[in-house]
Amino acid sequence: MNPVGLSWAVALGGTVAAALAALAGPHRSRRVVVGVLTAISGAAGVAAGVGALTGSTFTVALPELLPLFGLRFHLDPLGGVFVAVTGGVTMAAAVYGIGYTRHGLDGRVAQAGVPVFVASMVLVPAAASVATFLVTWELMALTSLLLVLAEHRRRQQVAEAGLWYAVMTHLGLMAIMIGLVLLAAHAPDDGFAALRDAAGGLSPAMSATVFVTTLVGFSSKAGAVPLHAWLPRAHPEAPSHVSALMSAAMVSLGAYGIMRVGFDLLGGGPRWWWWLVLAIGVVSAVYGILQAAMSTDLKRMLGYSTTENMGLVLIGLGAGGMFAAAGQHVLAGLALAAALLHVINHAAFKTLLFLGAGSVLHATGTRDLDALGGLRDRMPATTALFGLGALGASALPPGNAFVSEWLLFQGLVHGLPNGGPGTYVVVPIAVAAVALTAGLAIATFVKAFGVGFLAKPRTDAAHRAVESPATMLVGMGLAGAVCAALALLPTRVVPALADAVAVTTPAVTRPAVEGDLTLRLVGVTGSLSPLLLTVTLLVAVVGTAAGVRLVATRRARRQARLWDCGAGPMSARMEYTATSFAEPLQRVFDDVIEPEQGVDVTHHRQSRYLVDTIVYRRRVPDRIERRLYQPVLALVRAWGVQGRRLANGSVHRYLGYGFCSIVVALVMLAVTWS
Amino acid sequence: MGLLRKIIKTGRVAEPAPPKPEADQPEHRAELGQLAGSVQVRHVDAGSCNGCEVEIGSAFGPVYDAERYGARLVASPRHADALLVTGPVTRNMTEPLRRTYDAVPAPKAVIAVGDCARNCGVFAGAYGVTGAVRDVVPVDVEVAGCPPRPEAIVEALRGLAGR
Repeated sequence: MNPVGLSWAVALGGTVAAALAALAGPHRSRRVVVGVLTAISGAAGVAAGVGALTGSTFTVALPELLPLFGLRFHLDPLGGVFVAVTGGVTMAAAVYGIGYTRHGLDGRVAQAGVPVFVASMVLVPAAASVATFLVTWELMALTSLLLVLAEHRRRQQVAEAGLWYAVMTHLGLMAIMIGLVLLAAHAPDDGFAALRDAAGGLSPAMSATVFVTTLVGFSSKAGAVPLHAWLPRAHPEAPSHVSALMSAAMVSLGAYGIMRVGFDLLGGGPRWWWWLVLAIGVVSAVYGILQAAMSTDLKRMLGYSTTENMGLVLIGLGAGGMFAAAGQHVLAGLALAAALLHVINHAAFKTLLFLGAGSVLHATGTRDLDALGGLRDRMPATTALFGLGALGASALPPGNAFVSEWLLFQGLVHGLPNGGPGTYVVVPIAVAAVALTAGLAIATFVKAFGVGFLAKPRTDAAHRAVESPATMLVGMGLAGAVCAALALLPTRVVPALADAVAVTTPAVTRPAVEGDLTLRLVGVTGSLSPLLLTVTLLVAVVGTAAGVRLVATRRARRQARLWDCGAGPMSARMEYTATSFAEPLQRVFDDVIEPEQGVDVTHHRQSRYLVDTIVYRRRVPDRIERRLYQPVLALVRAWGVQGRRLANGSVHRYLGYGFCSIVVALVMLAVTWS
Repeated sequence: MGLLRKIIKTGRVAEPAPPKPEADQPEHRAELGQLAGSVQVRHVDAGSCNGCEVEIGSAFGPVYDAERYGARLVASPRHADALLVTGPVTRNMTEPLRRTYDAVPAPKAVIAVGDCARNCGVFAGAYGVTGAVRDVVPVDVEVAGCPPRPEAIVEALRGLAGR
């Protein structure tokens, strides 16, 4: 067993040990032991992933572990990226979890769930056969469902969120299963290597069916519109370190699935497949960030932002597939590297943001941005780290997402003249969508940071907030350090992704970028130096501040009262709220998001001219969800009500049903037996 | 097109500029000299009957057009050089007026517009009135009249702006 296999095994062993410690160990030391063991597994996962990325793969087959099929694993560079991402997120989330789970989340199941969930996410990218993939995928769905439900005794909404998640993730599993089984039916066995060989002989209709069905399943896991409905429900209700694991690591595996099946197993495919992926990506990115901009629930907002970022990754995948189908391998490599880098960047900043949101929830007991504020003085470290994450998420330099979005942009823009037919329509729309998404993301995260952390506290809960315990800060600090490293030194990361890109499109032989300090695109013109950009920005900021100070001190200065329109004193009610900050955007996109709002004015009893109370209501329902899911749900409900007539409690009738079904089965058998 | 036609048909309605007033404001001469050419004005209604406001509106309207002499109404005392105070200072507006005065960056001037602002006018001795404007903040220029004519307001502003 080579070092990669060894560290992969250590990662799995660590999670198993952590799960056993959670189930059998003493209650007093449970959190610490589980946290430390899970963090060690995470570190081993990072080592395994990075090792796989640098080219040393490994294979293991355990034929006796699963009846009929056996389990087969093969960690290649593409899987390595996702194992490394999972490991990194796990390290931060596990350390954070030691402090976070102190109150109410230190039960056996909630503690054992996290390491098992991590193990499943380490297994999925290494799965090398259909049966292995489906089993580990289902394990991942079930453990995450268990964790989403961890706080079901405390809040009513948890059960509803869990139900949505359970149904949607299993419908997704069904779609993936149908697709992969259809594919496996044309191969001698269900190993990915055999599928790869068999894919060449498939009819175009069959391979398209396989691709589209698996795309449905994987995009539901990735939270892409229109299959995103579970995501903004489950993420807010799950414990925050689980939200981080789900949003940063698990959701990315949807993108992994599309890459594995679409590129690796089916070997690319015609252009329209990737136009479909691109379209899903564009709609997800724009719709996700619009809903995030409207949301006043901190974690719901982050959940929608996950939809947005997965949309950007899908845009990268779609563009990569489109360019590969057109024979533009340099551009395909660039777009795919951008997508993979965005997966990594998204994992880093989303972990940080969800952990930060968890600290806020831990300190104040609320996720409502309109009830927060003033946390800067009370939780300075959390505020700084959340600010770093928000900078990363808003795709502005020197944040980390800026680099991947810039790469994506370069890929799209250079693809316009030579991406094959149809690109003149597709690419400009994608470019516009990426630009609009970046703009809205800035507004969203300015809202989250400004309203949530700055100004004065809006409620007593925010007023009484205290800084989180050290373990939580260390967890966030880890994620923050990775964010900063990714922002400053992407030159070390992007060339390393070349092998992973080569798994998807073997024609790509060179890394998409080169250079030590400056990212220079290979094959097309374009360069960016995040480090120099950051230094320049810092120098400009410091220089301006020093200049202003110098000029200001020359004149006579006088301390004056804060201008409060003469009335005073300023109260927290005068501050911008998340709702009011989003109002202009809501007005601009009124036709798209269709908010429901109304004002009820109650007049005084004695005179109509005197106002007693004013009640303002505003709700931004998910329009796609209402239009798409409500009819289906109504249909299912009506069907259920109809079906109830069949079961009226009469034993005779039930015996009759049994008799009829046996007769039908026998008739079927008699007709088809020959 | 209708708007354009209206503009062309109406033409210029501003009154011809009267001669530049003699600079005869006694106090703060040295300081106000620094406002040469332009004065940014914040209007404070300290308890007026709104008669003076109508005339101020008229002074800044197209006929008297105070803006051609460099006077401009602004939305915050932080942006202002001068305060344009109308009405007797009521009890409720005493403290806000003081704070508004504090909020104006130096050098600053106060113009009391109308008889009420100068000496409480018909409201003198009323139970809700603190006093005239000069009882609350130092006044540099006074404009008499109940209400003062727009020409008088424009003249006071020109005296400050120096053009």
